[in-house]
Amino acid sequence: MDTMLSAGARSESNIEVHKYYSGAVPLVCFLALVLQAFLHKYGRFAELVDLPLLVTIYFGVSRRNPVSGMFLGAAIGIAQDALSHDNPIGMYGIAKTCVGYVASSVGARIDTEHPISRFGLIFILFHFHQVVLSITERALLAHNMPMFTLRLLLDSVVTAGVGVVLFALLDRLRRRQ
Amino acid sequence: MSDTIISRHRPLSLLAALILAQVLLLAFQIKRENNVRLVRYWTVQTLTPVERAGTWSFSRIGGLWSSYIGLRNARTENARLQKELDELRMRNRELESQAAEGQRLASLLNFRNAHPEASMLAAEVIGASADPTSHTLFINRGERDHVRRNLAVITPEGIVGKIVEVFPTSSQVLLINDRDSGVGALFAGTRTHGVVKGSGDPNPRMDYIVNDEKVQAGDKILTSGEDHIFPKDLPIGKVESAKAATPFQLISIAPAARLDRLEDVLVLLTQQELTPKKTEEAPPQNTPNPAAANSQPATAPHAHN
Repeated sequence: MDTMLSAGARSESNIEVHKYYSGAVPLVCFLALVLQAFLHKYGRFAELVDLPLLVTIYFGVSRRNPVSGMFLGAAIGIAQDALSHDNPIGMYGIAKTCVGYVASSVGARIDTEHPISRFGLIFILFHFHQVVLSITERALLAHNMPMFTLRLLLDSVVTAGVGVVLFALLDRLRRRQ
Repeated sequence: MSDTIISRHRPLSLLAALILAQVLLLAFQIKRENNVRLVRYWTVQTLTPVERAGTWSFSRIGGLWSSYIGLRNARTENARLQKELDELRMRNRELESQAAEGQRLASLLNFRNAHPEASMLAAEVIGASADPTSHTLFINRGERDHVRRNLAVITPEGIVGKIVEVFPTSSQVLLINDRDSGVGALFAGTRTHGVVKGSGDPNPRMDYIVNDEKVQAGDKILTSGEDHIFPKDLPIGKVESAKAATPFQLISIAPAARLDRLEDVLVLLTQQELTPKKTEEAPPQNTPNPAAANSQPATAPHAHN
């Protein structure tokens, strides 16, 4: 907890921008999409976790650059739309663009290395993602997509839990400076 | 100044641009009811109220402007007389306009009364296509008035076109002289079948008539009902000129309806044939063509060849 508090109090310039081995970012994004599509075959458990969202948040927070964060989110979201058979391309694109932007902006202001802060951040961004998705669906597709349900709450808790473990694994891909 | 704001908020500007690009991408993919693309739906929904307001404003401003000009040039010594004269002229113009409108509406009403079995809807033309090569117009009836795609649009004089797009309060009509239009047709006299196609010119053409067929200027052309849009035996127009060509004759048609001066039209809500039950101008008993008889009584079925 001390680490979290001290991290939050640090100035923006003191926050470390992490670098990754070349090819690690596209490879991880690709694997997240493939794994998400692959796990979907095996029932509802896979639907609890949104791996592309976790990857968007992780790289957004770590690289701390809103522009690259939003472009990465857009690319992952559009690819996710392309993989779904009935989503018009752009639905997830818009939601993940916003998530990428917010994650990078948050990452540039506070340190998010602590597991608890990561859990909280993923939990909040999961619901932010859902709200943007719901607004887009309502405005453009005239579908009444819910913004919040108990199922979404469960999804967000599971996604945040998986995210904490996944983030720790992804930390190993960082280039040492 | 604006450059400074954009560069200061570069990430936010990029975010807005990226989201806008994706919203546009979505709008190009999504189709709303009646198979209308969302981007087209937005555009028409934005433009039709302006067109409607434009039609209304022009008629009002036109009246105000003509009265202003008329009064401004009046001489002081005969101002009272000139004003009176102008007022009388204006009143006369108004009455003439009202009489013409009344005549037009009476003609629509008579036609409607003559065919009580057919469900039809009177509509006002509120705008036309912005593309000079496209012969389409917009009417003030839409989805809320139960208008659907492929319904026939007619006037008592003859057919006008068909509904191609439907919006909540307006619809787009493809005129019979548009390049994309095709109407099943036949000669009233010989009952020879063909297809009336738009050529992009004001006059449509009758296609697929072999050179052996005798066609003369003035021959009447009616709908054949084969297109399942227009009921059978509605007047399309008259032959204006016919020339032998390979493989079929080149037949130009003068449309029966004044396609360039349409103000009020009727939308046929069914595709059943029109048979007269009570007409204000009783057609001859041997007239097999009731719709045509309404505008061209007695002579409609007789051809010149």
